[in-house]
Amino acid sequence: MKSVYRKIFLVIISICVLLFSAAMVHSYTAERPEISSQGEIDQQIYLAPIKPEDDTCIQCHVDETFTNIWTPTVRWVLFGAAGIFFLFGFARSASVWRSREAWVPIPKRISLYLDDRFQLSDFLKPILSKPVPDWQRRWWYCLGGLTFFLFIVQGITGIMLAFYYKPTPAEAYASILFIENEVLLGSAIRMIHHWSANGMIVMACAHMLRVFIMGAYKPPRELNWISGVALFVMTLGFGFTGYLLPWDQRAYWATTVGTEIAGGIPVIGELALVFLRTGWSITGLTLSRFFALHILILPLITVTSMGMHFLMVRKQGIMKPL
Amino acid sequence: MSEKQENNSVPFYPDHLKSEAKVALGVGILVILTGVLGLFFPVGLGAPADPMDTPLHVKPEWYFLFLYQLLRFIPKTIGAITPVIIVLLLAIWPILDSKPDQTKKPIRVRILVSIVVLLIIIGLTIWGEVS
Repeated sequence: MKSVYRKIFLVIISICVLLFSAAMVHSYTAERPEISSQGEIDQQIYLAPIKPEDDTCIQCHVDETFTNIWTPTVRWVLFGAAGIFFLFGFARSASVWRSREAWVPIPKRISLYLDDRFQLSDFLKPILSKPVPDWQRRWWYCLGGLTFFLFIVQGITGIMLAFYYKPTPAEAYASILFIENEVLLGSAIRMIHHWSANGMIVMACAHMLRVFIMGAYKPPRELNWISGVALFVMTLGFGFTGYLLPWDQRAYWATTVGTEIAGGIPVIGELALVFLRTGWSITGLTLSRFFALHILILPLITVTSMGMHFLMVRKQGIMKPL
Repeated sequence: MSEKQENNSVPFYPDHLKSEAKVALGVGILVILTGVLGLFFPVGLGAPADPMDTPLHVKPEWYFLFLYQLLRFIPKTIGAITPVIIVLLLAIWPILDSKPDQTKKPIRVRILVSIVVLLIIIGLTIWGEVS
């Protein structure tokens, strides 16, 4: 008897899906009347989107003089969400009615499904059920975690900025102006990236001071301290390389001075300077190099060191103060 | 558990995770507030880079400012190796000071050292900022 219900259910769903896709195909391919005025364009916007080959101004969708690209998306999301909502309610009621058993929530089902296949609870139970003593629940133990949190924020906003940033001397400045003035929420993302960077340095310093004062760097945790120092240097490296990227006067000359300081190191100074600047002066190659360091090399090294840092903390636990 | 069971403890999940989530949420709200502020007062840009035109006052970011200020008063070579030496010293510090604390005294000494170093760094930073 069960299979009959399932078949009826599937047939109804397939008819709905077919009808809906037919309607969407029709709305895209139907003959469109000639458009003569802006008022008619506004009316047409709510009927169907313009076909890509008729849409001559892609830039207009970005600078919001022309917004109909959102109309089908909004429609899909709205009707799709309503459809999923009603289908889910129907399936849930049908299931309870058929089996006479309480409904198992979806997250519970997912965890059961995964646990069935990978035995995750064997691995997670000791981690989750581990008691946390009260002396570990003080605010100074969350400074390192907050540094990590801000690093994640930096990663996300940095990826968002990288969508629009162009690492060439001719275009870097203009692309930052574009991010600040044209891109939706661009100035907000840049502000978050700017201030989270400062916050990350403050938090890393605070974490380092906490570990230093409590003496948590002493054996057997000395390797963890060393990886922490490496992470700190990496954070400063992020600040140094990221500072050149806007390619304004401040960035250019601060980097000039900074690399000159590196050039003052005895023996390897000139090599360091030439390596950092990719030559004797700061050019487009320097910008490319700093961009690569900032978005590829430093993140890779940082994530690896962070993994080691966290594994060691996990293994050795937090040092209990006197 | 290798250590003996603590009397005053809470389970990691859900109690401790909940308080950690609250902290993360608080900082997350701060981050989003920064973003909202950025909509009205953007970070902004200076004049475009011009290799021919050296500005009068070149200053690095605030976290390098104390080093920059220090470099004005010491020779260039010593100034260049100072940060390298500081980082190396930090890296090998656990080897230099490896005895576990028996009393509270070394902790107080380290607090004092940290305060002095912090005051020097903050003083140099402010000096560099106003000069």
